[in-house]
Amino acid sequence: MSELGPVVADARERLMARARREGLGTVGYRVVESPLGPLWVAVGPRGVLNIHYGAEPSALELRRIVRAYGPGVLPDTRRVDDVARELDQYFSGKRREFDVAIDLSPLTPFQRKVLAVTARVPYGELITYAKVAHNTGNDKAYRAAAGAIGDNPIPIVVPCHRVVASDGTLGGYAGGLDAKRHLLKLERGADVPRGGWPPAHLSRS
Amino acid sequence: MTHPTTFGELLEQHEREIFAYALRLTGDRDEADDVYQDTFLAAFRAWPPPRRGTERAWLYKIATNKAIDRGRRAKRFVRLGDLPLAAPERDGVSLADLATAVRTLPTGQRAAFVLRKVQGLSYAEVSHALECSEEAARSRVAEAMKKVKEAMR
Repeated sequence: MSELGPVVADARERLMARARREGLGTVGYRVVESPLGPLWVAVGPRGVLNIHYGAEPSALELRRIVRAYGPGVLPDTRRVDDVARELDQYFSGKRREFDVAIDLSPLTPFQRKVLAVTARVPYGELITYAKVAHNTGNDKAYRAAAGAIGDNPIPIVVPCHRVVASDGTLGGYAGGLDAKRHLLKLERGADVPRGGWPPAHLSRS
Repeated sequence: MTHPTTFGELLEQHEREIFAYALRLTGDRDEADDVYQDTFLAAFRAWPPPRRGTERAWLYKIATNKAIDRGRRAKRFVRLGDLPLAAPERDGVSLADLATAVRTLPTGQRAAFVLRKVQGLSYAEVSHALECSEEAARSRVAEAMKKVKEAMR
């Protein structure tokens, strides 16, 4: 049945076009290759919904997407093309900011607030979890802020890798600390120091 | 196999076998493509599947009905040119058996034969797909087998 693969792929392309026309496909996804391995990327009617480290979606994220947009989540190369191109430019050092729209609407208001602050951290700069909490207007909520950052459904584009612990160590990262080191090295042009950065390197803004 | 929660999961889990089934029923690539499109669009429109765990048989049922509808509308004999595309991968039924079956069997028996002997569905799933009792499914497959053997003599 070796010849069947391309035939089915062609049929799927036509099916996706019809599903789009009929409004049955609300969210499109595909796997994008990156220097950090495959990324499962989903784009909805308002923008990028999810970038997940791995070739398969996270069950939690999928449930969140289905709750917001229904079950019309379909493999759709074209819908993901723009963010795939921007990711490629970012990883090759040719892009410092993303232009694609993002969609945080499936999240809680608090999560959206925290990620909006995170999204404003400039390329190559660092901020602490405590500072993110402060910028959301609630100094005491730094643990909750760290939780929201840890659950960031759109890593890389919403640069949660720029958020570190108050002592300058890396903290955590959904894609693993090696991925966080890779992204910070790409942006800052130097390896992450052993034991993290001295606090003077962290953003005060 | 996990229960699909999205159209995409349903599609990725079953599209190859449904396309192959459509090809085995129709013997023609373009017809199979149409049956594949009709089947999945109908499944998306009718979402969710009637019961968890029966998604596969549900899709086969839709595909069988779509193939029969198209066959009725076309009012012509199936073409066999694209059948080698759907050659079975690992079961004991040869392409010659399949071609003979497609050529000689009436629609209901052809569907039962392909579902059971080529696609590997259980009799419970065949009966669900063809909307008949399990006993009727067994009898259709047995009748089809008899005819295939006779045709191959």
